[in-house]
Amino acid sequence: MSNPVVTVDPRVAKATRGSTPNASKAKRARRWRERLEVIGFTGPALLVFVLFVFVPIGYAIVLSLFDGTPTAPIRNFVGFQNFTEIFTTGRGETLGQPWFWNAVRNNFIIAAMSLLIQGPIAIGVALLLNRKMKFRGFFRLMIFVPYVLSEVITGVIFSLMLSPQGALNDWLTRLGFEQFTNFMWLMDTSAAPADAGFFSILGSRTFWAMFAILTWKYVGLAIILFLAGLSGVPEELNEAAAIDGASWWQTQRKITIPLLGPTIRIWAFLSLIGSFQLFDMVWILTGQQPGRTGLHTMATFMVDQGMNRNRVGFGSAIAIVLFVITLIIALTYQKFILSRDIGKES
Amino acid sequence: MKKLRAGGIVALATTTALIAAACGSGSGGTGGATASGDNVTITWWHNGTGDPLLSFWEDVAKEFEAKNPHVTINVTAYQNEELRNTVLPNAFTGGNAPDLFQSWGGGELAQWAKDGIVKDLTDLAADTVKAIGTPATAWQVDGKTYGLPYTFGPAGFWVNLDLWEQAGLDKANFPTTWDELFSAWTQLKDHNITPVAVGGLDGWPAAHWWYHTAVSTVSAEGFQKAMADGDFSDPQWALVGSNLQTILDAHAFNQGWEATSAQQGAASSAGMVALGQATMELMGVWNGGVMGGIYNEQKGLAQDSQELQENHLGWFPFPAFSNGQGDGRILGGGDGFSVHANAPAETVDFLEYILSEDVQRRYVALGNSPALAKLGAEIKDPAQAAAQKALADASGVQLWLDTAFGPAVATPMNNAIVAFMQGQGSADQVISAISGAMKG
Amino acid sequence: MATATLDSRRIVDQELKKKRVFSWSQPWVYLVALVALALSIGPVIFVVLGGFRTNPQLLLNPGGLPDPWVWDNYGQILDPSTRFGPMFFGQVIASLSIALLTTAFVVLLGVSVAYAIARFNLKSGPVLFSIFAAGLMFPATIAILPTWMILQSVNLVGTWAGVIIPQVAFALPTTVVILTPFIKAIPKELEEAASLDGTSRTGFFFRILLPLAKPGMVTVGVLAFVGSWNAYMLPLFVLRVGGAHVPIGPFDASVTLPLGVQAFQTQFSSSTTMIMAFTSLAMIPALIFFLAMEKHIVNGLSGAVKG
Repeated sequence: MSNPVVTVDPRVAKATRGSTPNASKAKRARRWRERLEVIGFTGPALLVFVLFVFVPIGYAIVLSLFDGTPTAPIRNFVGFQNFTEIFTTGRGETLGQPWFWNAVRNNFIIAAMSLLIQGPIAIGVALLLNRKMKFRGFFRLMIFVPYVLSEVITGVIFSLMLSPQGALNDWLTRLGFEQFTNFMWLMDTSAAPADAGFFSILGSRTFWAMFAILTWKYVGLAIILFLAGLSGVPEELNEAAAIDGASWWQTQRKITIPLLGPTIRIWAFLSLIGSFQLFDMVWILTGQQPGRTGLHTMATFMVDQGMNRNRVGFGSAIAIVLFVITLIIALTYQKFILSRDIGKES
Repeated sequence: MKKLRAGGIVALATTTALIAAACGSGSGGTGGATASGDNVTITWWHNGTGDPLLSFWEDVAKEFEAKNPHVTINVTAYQNEELRNTVLPNAFTGGNAPDLFQSWGGGELAQWAKDGIVKDLTDLAADTVKAIGTPATAWQVDGKTYGLPYTFGPAGFWVNLDLWEQAGLDKANFPTTWDELFSAWTQLKDHNITPVAVGGLDGWPAAHWWYHTAVSTVSAEGFQKAMADGDFSDPQWALVGSNLQTILDAHAFNQGWEATSAQQGAASSAGMVALGQATMELMGVWNGGVMGGIYNEQKGLAQDSQELQENHLGWFPFPAFSNGQGDGRILGGGDGFSVHANAPAETVDFLEYILSEDVQRRYVALGNSPALAKLGAEIKDPAQAAAQKALADASGVQLWLDTAFGPAVATPMNNAIVAFMQGQGSADQVISAISGAMKG
Repeated sequence: MATATLDSRRIVDQELKKKRVFSWSQPWVYLVALVALALSIGPVIFVVLGGFRTNPQLLLNPGGLPDPWVWDNYGQILDPSTRFGPMFFGQVIASLSIALLTTAFVVLLGVSVAYAIARFNLKSGPVLFSIFAAGLMFPATIAILPTWMILQSVNLVGTWAGVIIPQVAFALPTTVVILTPFIKAIPKELEEAASLDGTSRTGFFFRILLPLAKPGMVTVGVLAFVGSWNAYMLPLFVLRVGGAHVPIGPFDASVTLPLGVQAFQTQFSSSTTMIMAFTSLAMIPALIFFLAMEKHIVNGLSGAVKG
């Protein structure tokens, strides 16, 4: 397919007009070459991308209009009924849980906390590891290790450590803190009942255990991004500041962190989207039943409904809603925060 | 964002083409019926990912190939939940469905039958259906057989006899009423022994307590009405919650049962019973094998040693409630295979071979529970034999309720049960969760 | 800026700075680094040590050290004469090949697109960016069936390429999102200078931009590699359901490492300690890859900008 979205800047085109015929011929040739360049640079990526990302989205849109099963996904056209159901309540749920809204709430809380907690931790560690120090490469490698572990394995490890018969309780007992061994880190149901307050999730031990594990797993990614960004901050700036008598921390705060701005903004963008798409870790750590602890995210709710209950249409509708919500947030972020890093004017 | 739309339209156009392709090939098996004599390939997907079952099924396939030189069998093993929730549904829709595949019976199979995915075996395998008898009913929809079990058994209490006797209890005299069982639990607790392990993290092992209570409380007719029409008006249904509550009030479960896994890894409820950290577990027939594996590893015994099963385990059925109308019915389930509607005729022959007496006997020798009722009597290990006897003595078998009701009901039902058992919400919520999901 | 007076002052100050750094700041730095280290690899050490234990040890003494140390788990996986050995090495070959090829294509395609968005002054630049970013917002779990059908129509089911190509598509959003601002930050003057020399944009791209963008490319490369290394659903469908058959020498390279975990399930339960040993070993190639890439993340741009 051609690229209807790719056009050459008209200002460039305008500038070529009104020259002598010979020159204009040369300019036209150049313009063609530039168009070919654009196609050459973006075409292959767009092709695989449209094929394997946009086509599935289109397919999900179609499925969301049917009430199909996994074995017969396109059957029983129901129009927008799946969508209205999302915003009212899930079928067959008698606990009166506003499941979807709780999932949206959880996503928002996780997103906000990721930015506010994981961001500063990652910046701090990255600044630290950017200093000249012994074993720096080793430290960087070790910080990155959790990110290399797959989500499934991470889930297995922490289930083993946090289960009632697990390592954590064993250590607590050995250290004489037996009163803390009945915490059931992965099965605190206090936030699950329908009459639990909207923000009761913040009092759930399972929620905090989950967030700690998420931080453990993904802060390494942020650190690596920040280290790459820091590589663009010239060493001389630090030295110059040090000469002027600035302390290390002052230098970082006044010079390095502002220069790291674009990287921080991009990380925040990825972290935000990642928080809204959060699935694997929650799904595995809650034994595939996030509803029992009130910990559903939009993505786990989607899989729970679509796969476990064979409601492919409803699951697809949730996917579309999730897509739209994330898209709105991302576009807003892009317009107001990211534009200076990717927009035309820099 | 106007430009985005162009991409969207392209995507939609491609999607339409895709759907057309999906509808065209959706119900196609890979094999395609071939006249016998031509070379035939049978694709077989099962859930036996671990030995000894993995090698056993491979051997069975090779034996059939040797007897039928024109048949080639491609065997692949998938992890059970993956096969059930992801691999099979996508294969059915994506046009690469296997010819012979794992089949769990109940509501899910009814859906497959409705979608024309599975072959009607009623006449094609009439003799085998008859030889299996009662267990086969779980793979029947409206009197037609769409799959056959190769293993079947009831659920009940698996007892660690060492702990049982340590508390001064008699292993020749297992409780037959709830009063007897309650007093046994008290006696165990007096000896500082955890009476019961429950793998509540997985949900279903806890939900089974409600299933058993329901089967023991509600009559067969009451169940029939509820399963067929979602009619829960039988007053006995209201007693299920209060009966289960009396069990919960005995506080016999292991501390943190809500967060204990059932079979995964070493710290599971099965492991607790096998290694003497809890006395009993309410579980299906496979539990002997699960516990045996953990036990053998700890004692450094050979992988196929039956030491635990033969000398340290006991089994007794879920006692009846005095106010119950279950009338000797028992809860159970098994594993089976179904044949794809478009599979070659040889596939049915192969399924019948899998269920032949010779293959079944060797399957039982691996420590499994048979589907052919007459082989049940040949089992040696006492716990397994007690389970088979209970099955033979039962007036009827109720398939696991989550399987029987099907996936659309299973999750809401299990969630409601577990919430109730954890002290959240009322007993009525379980019934309304089931009927609400059935209406769907 | 560098005048004689400044230089002399600089030398004095650097002496001071050195003293300051080495007298009190360094121990503090190492302390924080060690705490971060302990937090990040503590659970991983639990896994590595778990591989030296038996399952009952894990149950009866969940927080303890291996007692006795059992070498059998690691031994069985690494011994080519057992059932697991040929599988493990074959899976390492498959995982490495698929991850390296995925990484190469993602980085190449991604940097091209990012260059076009950041530098071509396209009116559609931000829109292109949004299109690629939109790929991040769609839950991938739901894309299995359409992906399968597309792969089937181009006959890529059961091949490594069937895993690599969709993975490239899935990894492009992150790549473009990270690389675009990165390239944007490379000083424009370089391109203008090149343009005056008569270098075309393509020429500039290959000769000047690629070396300059190395830290960014290495970063996205590492992310793409890890993504491919841990991928589960796609290889499950394309390779296992698709019936891949890739023998390489004595090894069976038909599936990737994450699918290999299945081998440690016995009929009735799974061996957690075996899975722990397998996971520990499966982590090593990815960490070596990171180690090899790590110095490029750091030493790329700063040097170039100075020059």
